[in-house]
Amino acid sequence: MSRTRYALGSAGIALIAFGAFRLVTQVPFGDLIILVGWLIGIVIVHDGVLSPAVAAGGWLVTRAVAPRARRYAQGALIVGALVAVIAIPLILRRGSQPPSKALLLSNYGANFTVLLAVIAAMSLAAYAVHVASERRRVPPPTERNNAE
Amino acid sequence: MSVTKPTRPNRWPRFTSPLRSTAVTARLGRVLGICFAICFVTGLLSHYQYHPWSWLPEPVSPVWLYRVTQGVHVATGTATIPLLLVKLWSVYPNLFRWPPVRSTKHAVERFSVFVLVASSLLQLFTGFLNTLAWYPWSWNFVPVHRFLAYVVIGSVLLHIAIKLPDIKYGLSVKVADGDVLTEIPWSENPDAHSNAGPVPPPRPAGISRRGLLIAGGAGIGTVIITTIGQTVTPLEPLGLLANRDARKGPQGVPVNKTAEAADVIRAAMSPHWQLHVVGPTPYVLSLSEVLALAGHEKHLPITCVEGWSVGAQWRGVTLLDVVTRAGGDSNSRVRLTSLEQGGAYRTSYVEGPQVSHALLATHLNGERLDIDHGYPLRLISPNRAGVLNTKWLSRIEVL
Repeated sequence: MSRTRYALGSAGIALIAFGAFRLVTQVPFGDLIILVGWLIGIVIVHDGVLSPAVAAGGWLVTRAVAPRARRYAQGALIVGALVAVIAIPLILRRGSQPPSKALLLSNYGANFTVLLAVIAAMSLAAYAVHVASERRRVPPPTERNNAE
Repeated sequence: MSVTKPTRPNRWPRFTSPLRSTAVTARLGRVLGICFAICFVTGLLSHYQYHPWSWLPEPVSPVWLYRVTQGVHVATGTATIPLLLVKLWSVYPNLFRWPPVRSTKHAVERFSVFVLVASSLLQLFTGFLNTLAWYPWSWNFVPVHRFLAYVVIGSVLLHIAIKLPDIKYGLSVKVADGDVLTEIPWSENPDAHSNAGPVPPPRPAGISRRGLLIAGGAGIGTVIITTIGQTVTPLEPLGLLANRDARKGPQGVPVNKTAEAADVIRAAMSPHWQLHVVGPTPYVLSLSEVLALAGHEKHLPITCVEGWSVGAQWRGVTLLDVVTRAGGDSNSRVRLTSLEQGGAYRTSYVEGPQVSHALLATHLNGERLDIDHGYPLRLISPNRAGVLNTKWLSRIEVL
């Protein structure tokens, strides 16, 4: 192991130890137990629910969408899913705060729909350009002669 | 004796997507590491706002310093959520490596990955929910967010140390040519193209690795553009997913704690309100006396720890005038107390250069302060965290 790796690793372990020590000494025991529960729970939800769902979605796309269109469908789904991660908590929390906080007032459901529509439209447009350029690349022989 | 070609062990789940590769993971990880570093440093700067050392007080210039650092903190943290999810997707097959533990060293390594994944997911997720004033847990957010940050950044450093050879490989190989990452380590996978010589892996039928990185970047970019308007005012119209809408706040400025939540409406609206100034020569000011002195105008941003910020025009009395009349000077340390009966931010301290630049505001954007903005009198100081600009002032002590 190189010196760089030892230095990085030791610094990392020291920082983890400092953080863990301060958590244990500053956070009441009951809260600490709940915090550990959340740490384990969030990994279970990510690895056991979210990731399999994404894998299943990806598998469905490869089955349901023809290869020529697949990359555009996948691109749209990736962008849409990443936006959804932020949009969904906003949708759930909309209107939960006093008005003068100017917090969570927008119609996030409608805004998210607009974003999804824009993502879908852009992916469709990119697919259309792809199809059009594919046709142009393989023109009938007579046309090609004329062009030259 | 016949020689049979070794075959890839056939276990479930079997990962076959050629999209996953250390070449992809290392590129995602590089950006992710930078984002965590930015969040950690800006987070420490934010903590310093609340607990400065007396010999190194917060500067007053630039007035927008905290606006920038905290805006960057929240925007980066928000954008890092989708980035982290893509990064974790790229290494998901590693979870199913068999046998799960090969040696003590391997067990320690896997545990360090668990600590990294758990702490970074929780840190980003709870940080985001904090900006939505959503606390579905029992612990106090601030100390947990603060100390968990050390666990996160330490785990990142440890992870880089452990994975350095993989990172070097991933960054040195072209993104399309990197070995496919599956549940079988490449060194044991006869199908891995590294074992078959310098042959690029199969091209995906759908989106390419480059396409994946572009789509990920587009998703994260969309999140940034549609949320950043709460800090970068010119981008406000694009804020489809911005949680604050500054202009909808009273007098065009949001608040974090309302007068009702602070339970100060009766005391603040009372015609008998007085400002008690304590020092070598104590005195009391009535509301009309305060208003008579309120001739100073300042344009200062107000910045919340939750990431929003907005520039505003303030009018009022300079803190230094009030302090000087009480027998103090620009080197004094000043304690300001609100009408609030409790709460973590009932009092705040002003020291260092802030004493000479702070304003005790009576007016905001040309109108008398709204009750939610701290009527009849509040503090506003340059480069100062929002909640430290104490509202509904009742008492000023020159210490």
